This record gives sequence, C-alpha cells and structure tokens, in this order.
Amino acid sequence: MVAVSFKDVWKDYGSGAVAVKELNMNIKDGEFVSLLGPSGCGKSTSLRMLAGLEHISSGEIIFGDKVVNKLPPKDRDIAMVFENYALYPHKTIYENLANPLRQAKVPADEIKRRVTEAAELLEIEHLLERRPQELSGGQKQRTAIGRAIVRQPQVFLFDEPIAHLDAKLRARMRSELKHLQYKLGVTTVYVTHDQLEALTMADRIAVMNDGVLQQFDTPQQVYENPANSWVATFVGEPGMSLMEMEMTSVEGDMALAFGSETIKLDQKSAARLAAAGKINLLVGVRPDKASVSLEPLPNGIQCEIYSRQLLGADVLVEVEIGKSRVRAKADTSFGGNVGTPCHLNFLSENLYFFDAEDGKVIPQ
Amino acid sequence: MTVTTSSETHPALSDQDWGFSTIDRPPSAINPPPSRMFYVYLAAPAIALLAVITIYPFLWLIYMSFHKVGFGSSSDIFVGFENFSRLFTDTKYIEGWGLLLKYSAICLSIQVVVGVALAVVLNNSRYEKILVTLFLMPMMVSPIVAGLLFFYLYNGTFGWYHWIFQSLGFLGETSILGSTKTALYGIIIVDVWQWTPLITLITLAGLKRVPQDQLEANMVDGAGSISNFFNVSLPNIYPFLLIAILLRFMDNFRFIDAILALTGGGPANSTRLLPVYLFDVSFQFFKLGRGGAIALTLLIVTIILGLILVRVLEDPTRKKALSGDPDN
Ligand SMILES: Nc1ncnc2c1ncn2[C@@H]1O[C@H](COP(=O)(O)OP(=O)(O)OP(=O)(O)O)[C@@H](O)[C@H]1O
Ligand SMILES: [Mg+2]
Repeated sequence: MVAVSFKDVWKDYGSGAVAVKELNMNIKDGEFVSLLGPSGCGKSTSLRMLAGLEHISSGEIIFGDKVVNKLPPKDRDIAMVFENYALYPHKTIYENLANPLRQAKVPADEIKRRVTEAAELLEIEHLLERRPQELSGGQKQRTAIGRAIVRQPQVFLFDEPIAHLDAKLRARMRSELKHLQYKLGVTTVYVTHDQLEALTMADRIAVMNDGVLQQFDTPQQVYENPANSWVATFVGEPGMSLMEMEMTSVEGDMALAFGSETIKLDQKSAARLAAAGKINLLVGVRPDKASVSLEPLPNGIQCEIYSRQLLGADVLVEVEIGKSRVRAKADTSFGGNVGTPCHLNFLSENLYFFDAEDGKVIPQ
Repeated sequence: MTVTTSSETHPALSDQDWGFSTIDRPPSAINPPPSRMFYVYLAAPAIALLAVITIYPFLWLIYMSFHKVGFGSSSDIFVGFENFSRLFTDTKYIEGWGLLLKYSAICLSIQVVVGVALAVVLNNSRYEKILVTLFLMPMMVSPIVAGLLFFYLYNGTFGWYHWIFQSLGFLGETSILGSTKTALYGIIIVDVWQWTPLITLITLAGLKRVPQDQLEANMVDGAGSISNFFNVSLPNIYPFLLIAILLRFMDNFRFIDAILALTGGGPANSTRLLPVYLFDVSFQFFKLGRGGAIALTLLIVTIILGLILVRVLEDPTRKKALSGDPDN
C-alpha cells in the first residue's frame, strides 16, 4: 500500500487555537498506528489533515514519496470512518455502502457482491433496505465502517470507529478490524481515546497531549518505557502514581528522600540516577508493583489509606503520603480501610524516574 | 431533592377550574398540560376571522358561478351549470389554459435551473452578502412596477433590452411585445427576472443546512464537487426546493399584474393566459357569473396540479430529511 509521514506539521485554527504542534511521524507501509490521547488533544485534526479535509498550516504530509498537501481527498485514495458516522440520510444502507464503489465506477454486479460481503462481515445484511435514521447508534457505526472497507484504499483512517458500541460488540469489532487490516495489509491510522483499543490493536501507538506528540512507539514500549511522566500516568489502567522525591545519601549510599523518609536504592537505579545528576525527581510506580501492609516492612513508607476500591480479583488501595497519593494493588483479604495507618512497599528496581522539571524520563 | 406538585405550591390553581386538566398529572409536572378545549378556545378567534375573510368569499364565488349575476336593481338568476358548460366551447378559455401551462412550465424550469445554479455559485463566495442584497431588489419591486419597467426596456425605439435582443439577432423590427411569436417570452423574462431570486434565496438557505460531514464523507468516498452537489447537496436541499417550486407554481397561476401592465393579453391574445382572461371577463365585461366559473375551475386545477406536483417530486425518504435527524 503506502507509507505515510507527517513532517513538521502544524495546525493553527486561527484565533490562537493551535491544535497540532510540530508533528513528526513516519508510519510504515501496512502499519496499524493508533493515535491516543485525551479529548481535544488534536487526534481528529491530525487525521483530518491526512484525509485532506483540513488545510495544513505548515509542514508536509507525504504518502509514499509524494507530498499530498494540495491533493483533495478524492485523489488521496483513502477511506475514513467519521466520529459521528456521517451517513447519507437520503440513501438506503445499501446505497450508503455502495457510494465509494459508485464513485469509483465499479460495475453493478461487483458492487452488489462487495456490499453484501461487507454487510455480512458487519452483520448488517438484514438492514440494507433501511435508511440511517432507522438504525441504532451501533448499527450506524457498523454501516460507517462498512462504507470504509468495501473499497480497498491505500490508507484507512478511523476516528473512534467503535466508541459507541456495547462492550461485547466492541471487543469483537476490535479483533475483526485488526484481522481485516492484517489481511488487507492497508496502512491504518486509528484514532481513539481508549487505551485498551490502542494497546490491543496497534503496531505502534502515537500518544498525543495538547497538540504535541509525546511518544511514538510499540504498545509494549509505551507501557514499559514511557518517554515522560505524562505518558506514564496516561497509559495503563489504573495509571502510574507519581511522587516528588529528592536525591540524598544515607551512610554513603545514594537514596531517595521523601518527606522525612528515605528509600534505599538498588545499584542499577543508583548508577542511573548518578549519571543523570538530577536532584529533584518524579518517582513513578505502577499499582501492581506496589503493595501495602499493616505491619512495617524494611524500606517501606508510612502512610494512611485514602480509599479502597474492589476491582474483582483484587483491591485497589490508594494511600496518602504527605500531598502525594499512590495506588497499590492488594489482596481482597487486606484488612485496612479508609483512615487506617499502613505501610507502602515497593522494590526500587520497579520504579520509574522522571526529571521533576521537564517530566522527561531518566534514561536507563 | 424534593418534588412538589403544583397544588402544594399554588393551592389556588387546583381550587378553580382554569380549563386545565388536573387529573393523572405526574407529580413532577409543575404546569399541568392544558385540556383540549383550552386549545379550541385559543384558536376560536382566529378560526372566526378566517371564516369571515376566506370561507365567506369562497362560498360567494361558488354562488356566483351558478348564477347570472345582476347589477343594481336586477337580481341574480340561477342558471345551473350553464356558466360551466359554456366554457367548453370558449376558445379563449381553452387557449388561456394552454398559454398558462406553457408560461408556467417555462418560467419554473428556467427559475429552478438558474436559481439553484446561482445559489451554488453564491454560497460561501466572498461577495455573498452584498450579492444577496442586490438579488433581493427585484423581489421588492411591485409586479406592476416591474411590468412598467420592462415596458420601457422593451420599447421598440428607445428600449435597452430591445436593442440588445435585436443586436443579438433574436428580434426583427417589431418589439418583443409587438409580435405574437415573442410576446409570451417577453412576459416570461419579466417573471424570471423578478422571481428567480426567490428560488436562489430559498436554495441558499437550504445549502447552509447541508451537513458538512456528509459532504466530507462523500469527498473521502471519492467524489468531486459535481458529484458532491448531486449526491449530497441536492437531496438535502430538496425539501426547500420543493416549497420554492410550489410557491412559484401557485404564483404563476395568480399573479397577472406585470402581464396587464406589459401587454394586457395582446397582441392577438398571445399572452391572454387564463387568469388574464378571467380578469377580462369579470372586470372588463362584468360577467361575474362566468368569471366565477372560470375562477372555480382555475382553483380546482391549481389544487390538483399542486398535489400532483408534490406527489411526483416528493420522495417519502426526503420527507424524513426535512424532519431532521441531528445524528445524520
Ligand atoms: N474547526 C475548528 N476550529 C477551531 N478550533 C478547532 C476546530 N476543530 C478543532 N478545534 C480545536 O482543536 C483542538 C483539537 O481538536 P480535535 O478535534 O482534533 O480533538 P480530538 O483529539 O479529536 O478530541 P476528541 O477525542 O474529543 O474527539 C481542540 O482544542 C478543538 O477545540
Ligand atoms: Mg476527535
């Protein structure tokens, strides 16, 4: 199919609303890339610039080796699923699905075959004679997906295509879309604010915040080696907790000072932090790498339970230490409740270290 | 949160009968729904007024069409269907129908095509506001004034339009209104000049409501601007256009001011459309009974044609587009 790149792309909507800032991203041919970020971070804007629906303020968008900045959508050979479906109310579902093929002047029997095929895959074949306003939200969304997949374009652009489906159907559509994309090998950009979708489907995830690309890497890397403290807290459910700490030394060894407490460091972390030479740090720990106990353990931190939530198999305990709050997973048999004094424990090799000033990760 | 019923907050309301139904009211309804009689009372004055100003004259029209209407001391004579049966042998009446249908069909076709095309060009163009204001002007001119204006423009010795048409080779020595071949087109031009802007305005209002996302989806589907117009814009503005066409169609059957000012039906009856003939019969020759019969047939045919037009043009799915589903 085709590789897609953003080169120094800016999008300024005017009146000071800069939606995308200096976006650089190279998406490989046939790759499934997910744009992940909170609402309003510029995901849809980036996608619409790829589609040619939005003018680019500066920079270049490149398909293969061709700069497509000036190409209208129809000449980009793309298919797109819109956030709000954008079906044609005056056409039947069949005609909605057939529209891209009609535009491409595909013969009638071929149109019939492909539309039926897509409708079967999406389980909307019994709705083909209806009109969009006679469909449920989920059925509309599947129709919109169908309209994108009847044709084999160079690039698929999905803008939260399954956000309105129920949980079960969403899980099925995730695997169907992933399978379809793998089978067709079409380069895909998939916008979502649901990290589960991004982590499960994408070859690489582009994490955005406030118009700025934070990290562009494989799901595993994004989860295990977040590029900065923002990505660290955004990715993962529940997200990483951050604590403000300072470098100090105890009996000649490097340690972290946290209020009146000190935490001894393992050798690897100590070497890493020594090399970075930063004093003020943001220290992160994932909930499943932290634990709470009622009895003091060596290297633990004294704290108080702030909240306790049952997750099913285990309990999420949020503890308060000074002004920071840290989440930890505990066994359902854990006895503490809100207000109980307890101890937070973690191994220093499981900690993440970020520069307190710019949030950047301290490299390994 | 506590929910209070109106009887608790306004005890006075439940004590008296205000014409509001107070039974089976959900406790959350602060204002109880009015009873049906309440709406009847509200509408009664309007209905009464309507009866006096439209229904009474209409009944009078029917009465006249069955009588030989007398003037002064002579009284009306009942003639049964004679006024109607005589119409079948009245060549001016039959020709009047032919001319009216031809006139209306040509006017409507030109106005729709030109009006919509203008709206598409104007929509979101840089000069949209000022041009729309300019386009409004012909509509604001009274039809009789429009007729007089064109009467001068068509004048065979000093009319600008006459000169232009002649230079383009459309006309011989006679002016456009002077020849039986061209007079009808003369009055068509005036109607087009005056009323195309109405179609443009209504279409423009429709175009503003064409959902951007459908246009974008269609572009992504591979459509250019022409396909975008026929595939998305036109179906979306269709309900608006239908109303505009109906309005113009009915106006064509009624408005004869400009024609009276321009030709008065001549030359040689070539612009004596049925409504013009109706005017002549009723108010030149004062045969009010026959005029009533002509008016009644004109009215009935207008209604039938109007209904057919709606049927033919209206596709059930498009009705839904008008009722508007915000999701789509
Ligand atoms: N047409 C527009 N004019 C002005 N500002 C806009 C326009 N479209 C989007 N924006 C602004 O640009 C920013 C990014 O918007 P965008 O639609 O790309 O967000 P998003 O990441 O897709 O969010 P969501 O997940 O809610 O869809 C927002 O702050 C938004 O207010
Ligand atoms: Mg969006």
